Amino acid sequence: MNKQEVFADGFWKNNTIFVQLLGMCPLLGVTTSAENGFWMGAATLLVLLGSNLVVSLVRGVIPKNVRIPAYITIIAAFVTVVGMLMNAWMHDMYLILGLFIPLIVVNCAILGRAEAFASKNSVSDAVVDALAVGLGFTFALLLLGGVRELLGQGELFGFPVFGESYPNVLMFILPPGAFIALGFILAGVNLVNRQLKLRADAAKAKAVNADAAATVAVEAG
Amino acid sequence: MKLEREQLQMVLALFVVAAIAAILLGLTDIVTREPIAAARKEALHRALQQVLPAHTNDPQAEAVDVDGKVIYPARDHGKLAGMAWEVIAPDGYSGSIRILVGVHPDGHVLAIRVTDHKETPGLGDGIVRNQAWVDSFRGRGLDDVRWKVKKDGGDFDQFTGATISPRAVVKAVKGALEFYRAKQTAIVGRLNGNSESVPGSAGGGE
Repeated sequence: MNKQEVFADGFWKNNTIFVQLLGMCPLLGVTTSAENGFWMGAATLLVLLGSNLVVSLVRGVIPKNVRIPAYITIIAAFVTVVGMLMNAWMHDMYLILGLFIPLIVVNCAILGRAEAFASKNSVSDAVVDALAVGLGFTFALLLLGGVRELLGQGELFGFPVFGESYPNVLMFILPPGAFIALGFILAGVNLVNRQLKLRADAAKAKAVNADAAATVAVEAG
Repeated sequence: MKLEREQLQMVLALFVVAAIAAILLGLTDIVTREPIAAARKEALHRALQQVLPAHTNDPQAEAVDVDGKVIYPARDHGKLAGMAWEVIAPDGYSGSIRILVGVHPDGHVLAIRVTDHKETPGLGDGIVRNQAWVDSFRGRGLDDVRWKVKKDGGDFDQFTGATISPRAVVKAVKGALEFYRAKQTAIVGRLNGNSESVPGSAGGGE
């Protein structure tokens, strides 16, 4: 796979949230607003970058039997580092995200990338993969957070969008709203993917037809 | 029993990984320790500004410890104008609510501010977002009002769909005033006695 394919795969085709449905705990837990979703995604992206980088660096050195504890140690170290950095320089957001920061350790998407990708690929590929998967994850959290904030409070990033008279649909801020909004987003993603596939198939069919027509023309000629 | 080569490798690999992780954490701690302390102090400073009256001193530098509560005094040109300390309501809807309560020396509430909570956004977090409700504590003494939410026969509003969070806050603020009434002489004595004392230096009492 070249870098472009690695990126497309991590960001969209195998998006952690939209396709693999991993990392549901932070997704549903913190996405009450676009800002929370964004920073949770950014924290996860940083951890993923660190862990993919290091796991790829030490691939082949770690004996197979102890690779999982080794990966988890690496991930936990980066999670703690990111937690401390946020505590120091983004204190308010650190307090808001609270317990969900240390819980990044158990986001199976991160261990999944370490095990399935970083441990088998070059450092540069692993970094691209981390960026792609992390950005895909951030995008998903941002999208869900934005939808919930917009419908639940009529705001986006804390700025009023629908005005004073908007009746806040509280349900979207509460946990059930997270599931409902996620369901509609997944349906939308599937719709987009189907359109993309139809278009790709059509293009392929056209190419084949053109090929066939050309062959026929050549034979007839 | 002799360790196999393979086993040694495993031990060594985990040891090296753990050692590197430890070094990484240690370095980050060195870099972030002071900024974290500064951020905490700044957050506390902002909260104190909101619950204390105008003052000319540094409440954090002059904090005293009375019965395990760190009390921050506000002085206006040396005269005690108010004080604040943090109370914890353990019975929020989701976990504890931490509230900074500003108290006038005569025992009424100056202002309150929730410093940490995990209440439901849009419902229970009215204890932070609903300014009118937060302000309804201003000027209230222990005997001025019934310290319960209206649903329980008191004088404080609850929110539509959220009774537990305001109930917990009202109870905790009432507890703060009761603490002040019980310990008033000790607290005021400590605050007036030695303004340069350090938190945790001694228990309460004169």
